[in-house]
Amino acid sequence: MTALTTPPLKSVRRDSVRPVKRRGSGIAPPWWFAAPALVVYALVMLYPSIVGAGSAFTDWAGVGEQRSFVGLENFRQLVHDDQALGALRNTLLLTIAIVVVQNGLGLLLALGVHTTIKSRMVLRVIFFAPVVVSPVMVSFLWKYVYNPAPDAGLNAVLNAVGLGALRQDWLGDPSLAIWSVAFTVIWQCAGYSMVIFLAGLEGVPQELHESAMVDGASTVARFRHITWPLLAPAVTINVMLSTVGGLTLFTQIIAMTNGGPGYATDTLSTVLYKQAFVYGKFGYSTAVALVLAIFVAAVSFIQIGYLRSRETAA
Amino acid sequence: MAPVIDRSISRRRVLQLMGGAAGVATLAACGGSGSSSSGGGLKVVGAGSQEAGLRKALDDFKKQNSDFDFNLSFSPADQLQTSLRAQLAAGNAPDMHAVYPGNGSAMSMVQLSKANLLADLSDQAWTKKIPSGFKGAYQQDSKTYIFSPGTSVLGAIYNKKAFASAGVEVPTTWSELLAVCEALKKKGIVPLALGAQTPWVTQLINYALVPGTVYAKQPDFDDKMAAGSATFAGSGWADAMTKYLELQKRGFFNDNPNGTTYEQATSMVGTGKAAMAVQVSAVLQAYRDAAPSPDDLGMFPLPATDTVAENWIPGGIVVGIAINAKTKKADQARKFIEYCGQPDTINSWAEAVACVPLYSDGEPKVDPVLKPFLPFLSADKAVPFMDQRWPNAEVQPTHFAVVQELLGGRTTVDGALKKMDEAYRKAT
Repeated sequence: MTALTTPPLKSVRRDSVRPVKRRGSGIAPPWWFAAPALVVYALVMLYPSIVGAGSAFTDWAGVGEQRSFVGLENFRQLVHDDQALGALRNTLLLTIAIVVVQNGLGLLLALGVHTTIKSRMVLRVIFFAPVVVSPVMVSFLWKYVYNPAPDAGLNAVLNAVGLGALRQDWLGDPSLAIWSVAFTVIWQCAGYSMVIFLAGLEGVPQELHESAMVDGASTVARFRHITWPLLAPAVTINVMLSTVGGLTLFTQIIAMTNGGPGYATDTLSTVLYKQAFVYGKFGYSTAVALVLAIFVAAVSFIQIGYLRSRETAA
Repeated sequence: MAPVIDRSISRRRVLQLMGGAAGVATLAACGGSGSSSSGGGLKVVGAGSQEAGLRKALDDFKKQNSDFDFNLSFSPADQLQTSLRAQLAAGNAPDMHAVYPGNGSAMSMVQLSKANLLADLSDQAWTKKIPSGFKGAYQQDSKTYIFSPGTSVLGAIYNKKAFASAGVEVPTTWSELLAVCEALKKKGIVPLALGAQTPWVTQLINYALVPGTVYAKQPDFDDKMAAGSATFAGSGWADAMTKYLELQKRGFFNDNPNGTTYEQATSMVGTGKAAMAVQVSAVLQAYRDAAPSPDDLGMFPLPATDTVAENWIPGGIVVGIAINAKTKKADQARKFIEYCGQPDTINSWAEAVACVPLYSDGEPKVDPVLKPFLPFLSADKAVPFMDQRWPNAEVQPTHFAVVQELLGGRTTVDGALKKMDEAYRKAT
């Protein structure tokens, strides 16, 4: 009897799975096909951004014509601004929480609904549903859920199930508020990550799993050596999108806490908004916006460089 | 030949998945939208707290002038700062819009008139009747830029039934106030509803206390602040904030005030779950709407000290309207403001928003609930809302934030006042 030998399971190499070229001729279309879109982009995005960036070097109040050139003063002020530095810390904490938990949860949901269970389509819709609701509506909904009264919202549910001791001032406690906001964002956006992971999962050939199963690979081993490497592009997209979303988070914070209590949930986006529209310091606000834009771009480039190299290594 | 695996994410597949899910989910997400506008004509954006008075004045003026029409909308206080300011910056502001009196806010009369964004109303007859003590609220460099129907007072709105059930009377000293709160608390009624999650609500208790703890002793405190010879720290502001915290420490507020909104606090007083809320008279209508009967509610000056004679009150000019300096409908707008300045219109507007009229030819028509405040106004024991004389738009939001920090145990009274002093000293 011939002994059945099974070769060790290896990660799937990128060079073995290069996508099929779909373009028949292989000739790139002329660049000027993109010209109309580029012109619109330049007019609507680039020009206002460049002109607006100039305000970062002035003391413009945001209304009226009066403004003076102040050089780098706004940037010097930013370095010593406790509110902005606190907001930077909050922004990073929120981003880390959102990137890790949202994508982790999104992946679990995707794996859960990428099965043959009958209700998978219904579940996909349910998990994705919060994504299509306006963030403002979601924020107000959760503001209701986070009502601090003992007989309302989440606290009432905790009471009803005998966990009254866990009742919290979800948005009013300075230590807790930022995590309450993060949870809301994750609740809304996990479905978005799920869909991208799901698209990645559907690109993983069933034959690979079947071969591995024949070879005796466990579920965990198949996920680690087949599914996870082939999901690399989905991971790249999800991590990039959630990082940029986290770093620029604004709507949910303004709608739920307005940056409070005190400054406990202020992010760089809410600080630049308040500087412009509440304090009337448009020039300084633009400086914060400029720094935020450069910061987001730098993080994105570093991240995409790392994730792409991971895709290549996979 | 090795099998070729397409491991890239198909755009079509992502769109299919998203589209399918979105198609179903959107059905549940559809909703309607409303607008308070009423046709074309003069575009007016007012403050939500002034809706009853401004709408009535516009409707009445339209009845008398068939060629006049308007398009009216309202914004809550927090959104005035953003939406209107953005429109002003972009040069597409409405023909007439809400403006805060005095200084201290990015949408205040001083800040906007300095930027040449408001039309000068000085040639209108009613401007000659502005009492000298209120000129700072209406005028910059001796020119009048806003119309406001009068003075709003700030005190405790209280539920009479809650007071009756606890067997307590309206207090006239700080010690009496504490005793009333204690009695209400023992009865199981929240003595003071505080919705400090709504930023502007955070300031009201301090505003109610500092006329007694600061201005009764130092009427020229604002001038000294402007001259740099006084600071918030070390002044009667410290006493006021300490008393604010004392109310919290004694358990006289609802649970978790930092997580409670203005609307929730309003409902608590209206339904009798809470007995009092420190508020401006301009929002009385919202409290009446929340109560089974408007007669359930009364209002009294919040006593700040144990010396009755030193218990002054805050009374500030309410948010007004101004004409956009660049409007092409300036004539129509000016005629309307001229109409607003007539005694009958002022009385009618003031009555609708529960404020004391700017001036009156005879006996002013005042909401009966405000009568306890009138002796203070006639005795010159009323102080304009503090922010109206602050030099920049940063002090007030700093005040909001430090009060939330105080309630959250994140700072001390000294730390809070130091931050306010830092904000005050920043450039205008």
